[in-house]
Amino acid sequence: MLLGTIPFGFVAGVAAISAGMTALQGIALSVLSFSGIAQLIAAQLIAAGSPVLVTIAAAFVVSLRFLMYSAALSPHLAHLTLGWRLLLSYLMTDQTFATTVRRYGEPGDKRSRHWHFLGAAVTLYGSWQAAVVMGVVAGASVPASWSLDFAVVLSFIALLVPAVRTRADLAAGMAVELRREARR
Amino acid sequence: MSTWLAIAGVAASTFLLRASFIVFADPQRFPKRFRQALTFVPPAVLAAIVVPGLLLNQGAIDLSAANPRWLAGVAAIVVGGKTRNALAAIATGMVALWLLQWALG
Repeated sequence: MLLGTIPFGFVAGVAAISAGMTALQGIALSVLSFSGIAQLIAAQLIAAGSPVLVTIAAAFVVSLRFLMYSAALSPHLAHLTLGWRLLLSYLMTDQTFATTVRRYGEPGDKRSRHWHFLGAAVTLYGSWQAAVVMGVVAGASVPASWSLDFAVVLSFIALLVPAVRTRADLAAGMAVELRREARR
Repeated sequence: MSTWLAIAGVAASTFLLRASFIVFADPQRFPKRFRQALTFVPPAVLAAIVVPGLLLNQGAIDLSAANPRWLAGVAAIVVGGKTRNALAAIATGMVALWLLQWALG
Protein backbone atom coordinates (compact mmCIF):
# COMPACT_ATOMS: atom_id res chain seq x y z
CA MET A 1 0.00 0.00 0.00
CA LEU A 2 2.70 2.46 -0.98
CA LEU A 3 1.15 5.79 -1.74
CA GLY A 4 2.41 9.33 -2.20
CA THR A 5 2.74 10.52 1.38
CA ILE A 6 2.14 14.24 0.84
CA PRO A 7 -1.11 14.09 -1.22
CA PHE A 8 -2.49 11.25 0.90
CA GLY A 9 -1.76 13.16 4.11
CA PHE A 10 -3.33 16.27 2.62
CA VAL A 11 -6.53 14.32 1.83
CA ALA A 12 -6.54 12.90 5.38
CA GLY A 13 -6.35 16.44 6.80
CA VAL A 14 -9.14 17.72 4.55
CA ALA A 15 -11.25 14.66 5.45
CA ALA A 16 -10.99 15.35 9.19
CA ILE A 17 -12.32 18.90 8.72
CA SER A 18 -15.04 17.78 6.25
CA ALA A 19 -16.16 15.26 8.89
CA GLY A 20 -16.83 18.11 11.30
CA MET A 21 -13.74 17.70 13.49
CA THR A 22 -12.02 20.80 14.84
CA ALA A 23 -8.46 21.52 13.64
CA LEU A 24 -7.16 20.33 17.02
CA GLN A 25 -9.10 17.05 16.74
CA GLY A 26 -7.90 16.45 13.18
CA ILE A 27 -4.27 16.98 14.15
CA ALA A 28 -4.66 14.93 17.36
CA LEU A 29 -6.11 12.02 15.37
CA SER A 30 -3.13 12.15 13.03
CA VAL A 31 -0.44 12.52 15.72
CA LEU A 32 -1.94 9.76 17.89
CA SER A 33 -2.81 7.19 15.22
CA PHE A 34 -0.30 8.02 12.42
CA SER A 35 -2.10 5.83 9.90
CA GLY A 36 -3.66 7.21 6.73
CA ILE A 37 -6.20 4.45 6.31
CA ALA A 38 -7.30 4.51 9.96
CA GLN A 39 -7.58 8.32 9.85
CA LEU A 40 -9.64 8.28 6.65
CA ILE A 41 -11.95 5.51 7.87
CA ALA A 42 -12.47 7.38 11.15
CA ALA A 43 -13.23 10.64 9.29
CA GLN A 44 -15.63 8.91 6.91
CA LEU A 45 -17.57 7.23 9.73
CA ILE A 46 -17.62 10.31 12.00
CA ALA A 47 -18.96 12.29 9.01
CA ALA A 48 -21.73 9.67 8.61
CA GLY A 49 -22.64 10.03 12.29
CA SER A 50 -21.70 6.43 13.13
CA PRO A 51 -21.61 5.30 16.78
CA VAL A 52 -18.17 5.65 18.43
CA LEU A 53 -17.76 1.88 18.80
CA VAL A 54 -18.45 1.29 15.09
CA THR A 55 -15.82 3.89 14.17
CA ILE A 56 -13.25 2.29 16.47
CA ALA A 57 -14.08 -1.23 15.25
CA ALA A 58 -13.69 -0.22 11.59
CA ALA A 59 -10.32 1.43 12.28
CA PHE A 60 -9.25 -1.68 14.20
CA VAL A 61 -10.19 -3.99 11.34
CA VAL A 62 -8.41 -1.99 8.61
CA SER A 63 -5.35 -1.87 10.89
CA LEU A 64 -5.16 -5.66 11.33
CA ARG A 65 -2.30 -5.71 8.82
CA PHE A 66 -0.13 -4.12 11.56
CA LEU A 67 -0.50 -7.40 13.46
CA MET A 68 1.30 -9.18 10.61
CA TYR A 69 3.98 -6.49 10.32
CA SER A 70 4.53 -6.67 14.07
CA ALA A 71 4.88 -10.46 13.94
CA ALA A 72 7.34 -10.23 11.04
CA LEU A 73 9.56 -7.60 12.68
CA SER A 74 9.48 -8.79 16.30
CA PRO A 75 12.34 -11.35 16.01
CA HIS A 76 14.65 -8.59 14.69
CA LEU A 77 13.72 -6.19 17.50
CA ALA A 78 13.62 -8.64 20.43
CA HIS A 79 17.08 -7.59 21.69
CA LEU A 80 16.07 -3.91 22.05
CA THR A 81 14.96 -2.18 25.25
CA LEU A 82 11.24 -1.74 25.96
CA GLY A 83 11.51 1.99 25.18
CA TRP A 84 12.92 1.29 21.72
CA ARG A 85 10.25 -1.32 21.00
CA LEU A 86 7.44 1.03 22.07
CA LEU A 87 8.89 3.85 19.95
CA LEU A 88 9.36 1.72 16.82
CA SER A 89 5.86 0.22 17.23
CA TYR A 90 4.34 3.70 17.35
CA LEU A 91 6.22 4.74 14.19
CA MET A 92 5.60 1.61 12.10
CA THR A 93 3.71 2.12 8.82
CA ASP A 94 3.23 0.22 5.56
CA GLN A 95 6.12 2.08 3.92
CA THR A 96 8.52 1.75 6.85
CA PHE A 97 7.68 -1.94 7.23
CA ALA A 98 8.47 -2.54 3.53
CA THR A 99 11.86 -0.81 3.64
CA THR A 100 12.81 -2.21 7.06
CA VAL A 101 12.01 -5.81 6.18
CA ARG A 102 14.14 -5.50 3.06
CA ARG A 103 17.01 -4.03 5.09
CA TYR A 104 16.85 -6.86 7.65
CA GLY A 105 16.98 -9.36 4.78
CA GLU A 106 20.41 -8.12 3.67
CA PRO A 107 23.55 -9.94 4.91
CA GLY A 108 25.85 -8.51 7.61
CA ASP A 109 25.49 -7.36 11.23
CA LYS A 110 21.82 -6.79 12.03
CA ARG A 111 22.01 -5.62 15.61
CA SER A 112 22.17 -1.90 14.84
CA ARG A 113 19.67 -1.81 11.98
CA HIS A 114 16.96 -0.37 14.21
CA TRP A 115 18.68 2.98 13.52
CA HIS A 116 17.77 2.53 9.85
CA PHE A 117 14.18 1.76 10.92
CA LEU A 118 14.11 4.91 13.09
CA GLY A 119 15.58 7.12 10.34
CA ALA A 120 13.07 5.97 7.73
CA ALA A 121 10.17 6.27 10.18
CA VAL A 122 11.03 9.76 11.47
CA THR A 123 11.39 11.13 7.92
CA LEU A 124 7.99 9.75 6.98
CA TYR A 125 6.43 10.95 10.24
CA GLY A 126 7.56 14.54 9.63
CA SER A 127 6.30 14.74 6.05
CA TRP A 128 3.03 12.99 6.93
CA GLN A 129 2.15 15.32 9.81
CA ALA A 130 3.12 18.40 7.78
CA ALA A 131 0.83 17.25 4.94
CA VAL A 132 -2.04 16.60 7.37
CA VAL A 133 -1.69 20.10 8.86
CA MET A 134 -1.79 21.57 5.33
CA GLY A 135 -4.96 19.56 4.63
CA VAL A 136 -6.55 20.71 7.90
CA VAL A 137 -5.84 24.36 7.01
CA ALA A 138 -7.09 23.93 3.43
CA GLY A 139 -10.14 21.95 4.53
CA ALA A 140 -11.22 24.80 6.79
CA SER A 141 -11.00 27.39 4.00
CA VAL A 142 -12.23 25.52 0.89
CA PRO A 143 -15.99 25.85 0.17
CA ALA A 144 -18.14 22.69 0.44
CA SER A 145 -19.17 22.97 -3.22
CA TRP A 146 -15.68 21.73 -4.18
CA SER A 147 -16.70 18.32 -2.75
CA LEU A 148 -13.22 17.65 -1.35
CA ASP A 149 -14.80 14.97 0.88
CA PHE A 150 -15.09 12.83 -2.26
CA ALA A 151 -11.28 12.62 -2.31
CA VAL A 152 -11.60 10.24 0.66
CA VAL A 153 -13.70 7.76 -1.31
CA LEU A 154 -11.30 8.15 -4.24
CA SER A 155 -8.28 7.45 -2.05
CA PHE A 156 -9.93 4.20 -0.91
CA ILE A 157 -10.47 3.31 -4.58
CA ALA A 158 -6.80 4.07 -5.23
CA LEU A 159 -5.87 1.70 -2.41
CA LEU A 160 -8.34 -0.98 -3.48
CA VAL A 161 -7.61 -1.24 -7.19
CA PRO A 162 -4.11 -2.68 -6.75
CA ALA A 163 -5.18 -4.60 -3.61
CA VAL A 164 -7.95 -6.51 -5.36
CA ARG A 165 -5.54 -8.62 -7.34
CA THR A 166 -7.06 -12.02 -6.69
CA ARG A 167 -10.59 -13.25 -7.06
CA ALA A 168 -10.52 -14.21 -3.40
CA ASP A 169 -10.16 -10.52 -2.48
CA LEU A 170 -12.98 -9.56 -4.78
CA ALA A 171 -15.22 -12.28 -3.36
CA ALA A 172 -14.45 -11.19 0.23
CA GLY A 173 -15.27 -7.58 -0.64
CA MET A 174 -18.52 -8.49 -2.31
CA ALA A 175 -19.55 -10.81 0.52
CA VAL A 176 -19.21 -8.00 3.07
CA GLU A 177 -21.24 -5.66 0.90
CA LEU A 178 -24.01 -8.19 0.25
CA ARG A 179 -24.30 -8.98 3.94
CA ARG A 180 -24.67 -5.26 4.71
CA GLU A 181 -27.36 -4.90 2.10
CA ALA A 182 -29.18 -8.01 3.32
CA ARG A 183 -29.35 -6.59 6.85
CA ARG A 184 -31.10 -3.40 5.72
CA MET B 1 -16.98 14.57 23.27
CA SER B 2 -17.85 11.45 21.26
CA THR B 3 -15.35 12.60 18.61
CA TRP B 4 -12.58 12.64 21.24
CA LEU B 5 -13.62 9.14 22.37
CA ALA B 6 -13.44 7.92 18.77
CA ILE B 7 -9.99 9.52 18.35
CA ALA B 8 -8.75 7.84 21.55
CA GLY B 9 -10.15 4.47 20.46
CA VAL B 10 -8.68 4.68 16.95
CA ALA B 11 -5.30 5.69 18.40
CA ALA B 12 -5.37 2.82 20.90
CA SER B 13 -6.35 0.30 18.19
CA THR B 14 -3.56 1.27 15.82
CA PHE B 15 -0.95 1.37 18.58
CA LEU B 16 -1.90 -1.94 20.21
CA LEU B 17 -1.92 -3.77 16.86
CA ARG B 18 1.51 -2.36 15.99
CA ALA B 19 2.94 -3.19 19.40
CA SER B 20 1.24 -6.62 19.57
CA PHE B 21 4.19 -8.85 18.76
CA ILE B 22 7.03 -6.33 19.01
CA VAL B 23 6.17 -5.57 22.63
CA PHE B 24 3.79 -8.20 24.01
CA ALA B 25 3.72 -11.61 22.33
CA ASP B 26 5.58 -14.40 20.58
CA PRO B 27 4.78 -14.67 16.84
CA GLN B 28 5.40 -18.42 16.82
CA ARG B 29 2.01 -18.91 18.47
CA PHE B 30 0.26 -17.35 15.51
CA PRO B 31 -1.09 -19.94 13.01
CA LYS B 32 -0.25 -19.42 9.35
CA ARG B 33 -3.86 -19.84 8.22
CA PHE B 34 -4.93 -16.99 10.49
CA ARG B 35 -2.24 -14.75 8.98
CA GLN B 36 -3.44 -15.60 5.46
CA ALA B 37 -7.06 -14.88 6.41
CA LEU B 38 -6.03 -11.47 7.75
CA THR B 39 -4.77 -10.34 4.33
CA PHE B 40 -8.34 -10.44 2.99
CA VAL B 41 -9.81 -8.25 5.69
CA PRO B 42 -8.64 -4.69 4.81
CA PRO B 43 -9.79 -4.82 1.14
CA ALA B 44 -13.20 -6.10 2.27
CA VAL B 45 -13.62 -3.21 4.72
CA LEU B 46 -12.44 -0.60 2.20
CA ALA B 47 -14.93 -1.94 -0.35
CA ALA B 48 -17.72 -1.72 2.22
CA ILE B 49 -16.93 2.00 2.65
CA VAL B 50 -16.39 2.79 -1.05
CA VAL B 51 -19.59 1.28 -2.43
CA PRO B 52 -22.06 3.40 -0.40
CA GLY B 53 -19.83 6.46 -0.97
CA LEU B 54 -20.31 6.04 -4.71
CA LEU B 55 -23.89 4.83 -4.99
CA LEU B 56 -25.77 6.71 -2.29
CA ASN B 57 -27.30 10.04 -3.21
CA GLN B 58 -29.22 11.66 -0.33
CA GLY B 59 -29.66 8.32 1.43
CA ALA B 60 -30.92 6.22 -1.51
CA ILE B 61 -29.09 4.10 -4.10
CA ASP B 62 -28.93 6.25 -7.23
CA LEU B 63 -27.46 4.77 -10.41
CA SER B 64 -28.79 7.54 -12.67
CA ALA B 65 -26.78 10.27 -14.37
CA ALA B 66 -28.07 12.67 -11.70
CA ASN B 67 -25.60 11.11 -9.23
CA PRO B 68 -22.17 12.23 -10.50
CA ARG B 69 -20.28 10.36 -7.78
CA TRP B 70 -20.55 6.86 -9.18
CA LEU B 71 -19.60 8.06 -12.68
CA ALA B 72 -16.55 9.87 -11.27
CA GLY B 73 -15.73 6.75 -9.23
CA VAL B 74 -15.81 4.53 -12.33
CA ALA B 75 -13.43 6.97 -14.07
CA ALA B 76 -11.07 6.73 -11.08
CA ILE B 77 -11.23 2.91 -11.05
CA VAL B 78 -10.42 2.72 -14.78
CA VAL B 79 -7.49 5.13 -14.52
CA GLY B 80 -6.22 3.52 -11.29
CA GLY B 81 -6.35 0.07 -12.88
CA LYS B 82 -4.55 1.18 -16.03
CA THR B 83 -1.85 3.38 -14.50
CA ARG B 84 -1.46 1.73 -11.05
CA ASN B 85 -0.97 5.30 -9.89
CA ALA B 86 -2.97 6.38 -6.85
CA LEU B 87 -2.50 10.07 -7.47
CA ALA B 88 -3.71 9.77 -11.08
CA ALA B 89 -6.82 7.91 -9.88
CA ILE B 90 -7.66 10.56 -7.24
CA ALA B 91 -7.02 13.46 -9.65
CA THR B 92 -9.15 11.86 -12.38
CA GLY B 93 -12.00 11.24 -9.98
CA MET B 94 -12.00 14.79 -8.63
CA VAL B 95 -11.81 16.42 -12.07
CA ALA B 96 -14.57 14.12 -13.36
CA LEU B 97 -16.76 15.01 -10.36
CA TRP B 98 -16.23 18.76 -10.88
CA LEU B 99 -16.99 18.50 -14.61
CA LEU B 100 -20.15 16.46 -13.98
CA GLN B 101 -21.35 18.79 -11.24
CA TRP B 102 -20.74 21.74 -13.54
CA ALA B 103 -22.53 20.02 -16.45
CA LEU B 104 -25.51 19.08 -14.26
CA GLY B 105 -25.69 22.65 -13.01
